[in-house]
Amino acid sequence: MAKANPAAGWAYATPTALFVLVFFVLPILLVGRMSVSDWGLFAGNRGWNAPENFTDALENRLFWPAVWFTVKYTVVTTVILLGLALGLALLVQESSRWTSFLRTSFLVPSALGLASASLLFYALYSPQASPFPGQISFLGTPWSALWSTVALIVWRFAGFYMLLLLVGLHSIPGDVYEAARLDGASRGQTFRHVTLPLLRPSLALCTILCVTGSLLAFDQFYILTKGGPDNSTVTIVQLVYNVAFQGQNNLGRAAALSIVVLAALLIVNVLQFRGLRGKES
Amino acid sequence: MSRLLIRTPQVVLTGGLAIVFLFPLVWASLASVSPQAGTRQSDGWGFGNYATLATYQAGIGQYILNSTAISLLTVAFTLFASVTGGYAFANFRFPGRNALFLVTLAILMVPYATLLIPLYVLLNSLGLQNSLVGLALVLSMFQLPFATFMMRISFEAVPDELREAALIDGCGSFRALLRVLLPAAKPGLVTVGLFAFLAAWNDFITPLVLISDSDKMPLPLAVANLRGQVMGIVDYGATEAGVVVLALPCVVLFLALQRHYVRGFMSGALKG
Amino acid sequence: MSIRRAVAVTMIACLLTSAAACGGDDDDASGGGGEITAEGTDDGSELTLWTRAPLELQAKALVDAYNKTHKNQVKLTVTPNDDYVAKVGAAAGSGGLPDLFAADIVYVPNWTKAGLFDDLSERIELLPYADKINQGHLTAGTFEDKRYVLPFVLDLSVIFYNKKLYREAGLDPEKGPSTIDEFKDQALAIQQLGKKDTYGTYFGGNCGGCNVFTWFPMVWAGGQEVMNPEGTQSLLDGTAAQQVYRTWRELQDAGAIAPGAKDETGATWVAGFQEGKVGVMPYPATLLSTAAKTVDVGVVPIPGVDGGASTFVGGDGIGISKDSKHSEQAWNFLSWLSSEAAQVDVIAATGSTVSRTDLADNKYSQKDPRVAVVNRVASLPQSKTPVSVNFQQAFNAPGSPWMTLVRNQVYGEAGSLAQDNTALTDALAQ
Repeated sequence: MAKANPAAGWAYATPTALFVLVFFVLPILLVGRMSVSDWGLFAGNRGWNAPENFTDALENRLFWPAVWFTVKYTVVTTVILLGLALGLALLVQESSRWTSFLRTSFLVPSALGLASASLLFYALYSPQASPFPGQISFLGTPWSALWSTVALIVWRFAGFYMLLLLVGLHSIPGDVYEAARLDGASRGQTFRHVTLPLLRPSLALCTILCVTGSLLAFDQFYILTKGGPDNSTVTIVQLVYNVAFQGQNNLGRAAALSIVVLAALLIVNVLQFRGLRGKES
Repeated sequence: MSRLLIRTPQVVLTGGLAIVFLFPLVWASLASVSPQAGTRQSDGWGFGNYATLATYQAGIGQYILNSTAISLLTVAFTLFASVTGGYAFANFRFPGRNALFLVTLAILMVPYATLLIPLYVLLNSLGLQNSLVGLALVLSMFQLPFATFMMRISFEAVPDELREAALIDGCGSFRALLRVLLPAAKPGLVTVGLFAFLAAWNDFITPLVLISDSDKMPLPLAVANLRGQVMGIVDYGATEAGVVVLALPCVVLFLALQRHYVRGFMSGALKG
Repeated sequence: MSIRRAVAVTMIACLLTSAAACGGDDDDASGGGGEITAEGTDDGSELTLWTRAPLELQAKALVDAYNKTHKNQVKLTVTPNDDYVAKVGAAAGSGGLPDLFAADIVYVPNWTKAGLFDDLSERIELLPYADKINQGHLTAGTFEDKRYVLPFVLDLSVIFYNKKLYREAGLDPEKGPSTIDEFKDQALAIQQLGKKDTYGTYFGGNCGGCNVFTWFPMVWAGGQEVMNPEGTQSLLDGTAAQQVYRTWRELQDAGAIAPGAKDETGATWVAGFQEGKVGVMPYPATLLSTAAKTVDVGVVPIPGVDGGASTFVGGDGIGISKDSKHSEQAWNFLSWLSSEAAQVDVIAATGSTVSRTDLADNKYSQKDPRVAVVNRVASLPQSKTPVSVNFQQAFNAPGSPWMTLVRNQVYGEAGSLAQDNTALTDALAQ
């Protein structure tokens, strides 16, 4: 259906191309250059030093803990968030007044920015302002800090993913269910053998978005935990930020870390595409 | 009646879930007007925390104005780029099409804390430092992956016959876009616009680095400044009030546009 | 198509070279070109000034007072504390620094070394009261015998105690602790009141900056050091330091530290005292007027193991940036800032500590003996500002080696002191 009309195609694509080129490709090239230079935050470029930044970045005492924590956080968030979103989508898929009220209440948190949502939970979790009785330490131990942050993220994003999955559910034709019912399939069987397979494209999209978003997690930890307690919640992007702006003030090393992250994400996403496509065909 | 009774456990369960989701917002609104030590509102209920906010530095009006300007510019830039781009990707085949689309999506994969310094350097060399337009351009760039993707599937969802009919009628491709495709893709447009607005309204780190003039600061930055006071003490009252002021327009806008927004996702049907 | 590509290539080239040029060492002091004077130039220029949010109150008062009495007009930009370094860094890399900017005094050595400030040595010489300006701040702002920084706002650490609670516990409300042991005993006495929501003391158990500010003076008071003079080696395993750690651990074991201390990242470490829930603790002197609103505050200097007194001379220094095109006009502001008009009528009036020893005794300190205590301790020989290029990374940054050391000493394996101290030295020396 798409027409082969290169001139018109490029004409319409020009604004996008310009945007991408000027505000994305050029800065990335500069990041690439920083990553092979001795580039201090205040001192600026002090000449080439490849591959020192990369070896220094990988030798950082927080690098492997940060990788491990980011992966752990990503897995936990993705599993809980998508599981809950699927449950919510199933709950509200029929339309009635009650379900549309439910939909709205699940969706409202996604109108907040991540930073405002984090600030809200920051107050909610603080010993001073918290409405919860007693001295619950929400951010005091590595375990509670992780789960308190996951709670924030689930609250903020569950509605959004619910919506994406709802779209998938609605695109499943009714006669498929009808056929399953006639075959005498139980509810559980229908869900497992009809709904889930047909929902795969939507689930795939959600997984990719959620994994990418979680691997790049920054705002929530920056505001809530600052990587604490005892560096137990330092994510990889936070490490980038810390190397650049808090302490080392070394843009070269931060850029090298970002390049590593970018490469890892590209690989993860290519693998996800492959895996999810492969199963489909 | 009996149907309702059977459904009671489910209503209780789902109602409970809804309360869990609404609770933090309700709590923040109540806490911002309730008495609390260490804030301006230390005894009795009232709007003391909002008064702190209103009189902060240039005054809250200025910050709301800045945020509105940034958000509207971002919406305009994002819509322009994503409509033309989405149209190109959906309706034309041209060399570099897939590559450009993939690079656009790749914006999602870059930790954006990293991009800020290069962007700062770049805006300086373009003469856009410390300007709301420059900030809006950068924020639009961060919106492009989602917006372009959304507009592409929205246009692809428009039935081919409709498009062809428009072209046969003698419309050029641009008039086909304006007359036929845009009206048909309205929910998608609303979704993209809303997302761009919400993102620009709430963003904190980008203006922090790119804007250095107090008079040009957007609201989230003012709230963050207000939060950390002498020796890092946090004024929770002002923070809560700030969150409410930040969230209110978003929630209102969201509720007003919810029908279109949900349809925007549905219409594209994310054919994958 | 080829034109577009050419444009793209040129843009990339421009970007990469321009960035490199900006990043280079273009240290040419771009002054007004005129003669250097003690007062600088007041010709109606617009100046920009950046500071971090915690100093907003004082900065605003100073800027307002200056703008009212001068033709030059200063525009103030306030940035959240945690993001200030990022903002200055972004601006420094591309020549976009404001005319004047303040910096947490412990970061000043790093920033002067990076060449962010203009050389002020000659101008400071011209001030008639040059030798009366706070030495700690001047030393921190000196690099290779050149002076780059003047004190902007001073913040000192002192002991605050709640006189009402002291009376209830049978302690003398006019006598705060004069040794570390007395501090401990008095905190324990308050704790033994057994009052609901009332505790002996408090500290920021997850806040590197707080404990630098409050614990270093306990070491200095007895004449010991926390670092070698070059700031490259940690001496925080000395006998006085060990005594300090032991004291806090004993207070922790006795349950005399208010709950929440272990998670305290510094956001609320002063709140408990203001609410009257804490008996005695080291505290920022800047907050005297705030705390005195709700609590009957007593003030004494921070004591050492065997008495003595010291304070951490913190706060912010200020300098003229390398990028300023109005350095003569900016100097006019700095020169006024250290004058009696600014120090007494603005700084002292807002309840902050003056940064000149000859003005320590002024009409505001005469009204309140507690202010006099603070001013006096500022000029003691044992009161210091620690100087190290890697200070932020070693002490203040979240998850710093110092934080690990403190948490192990108070909550964890106290035996790891030698190892933790080595990690601290590694961070300082790199």
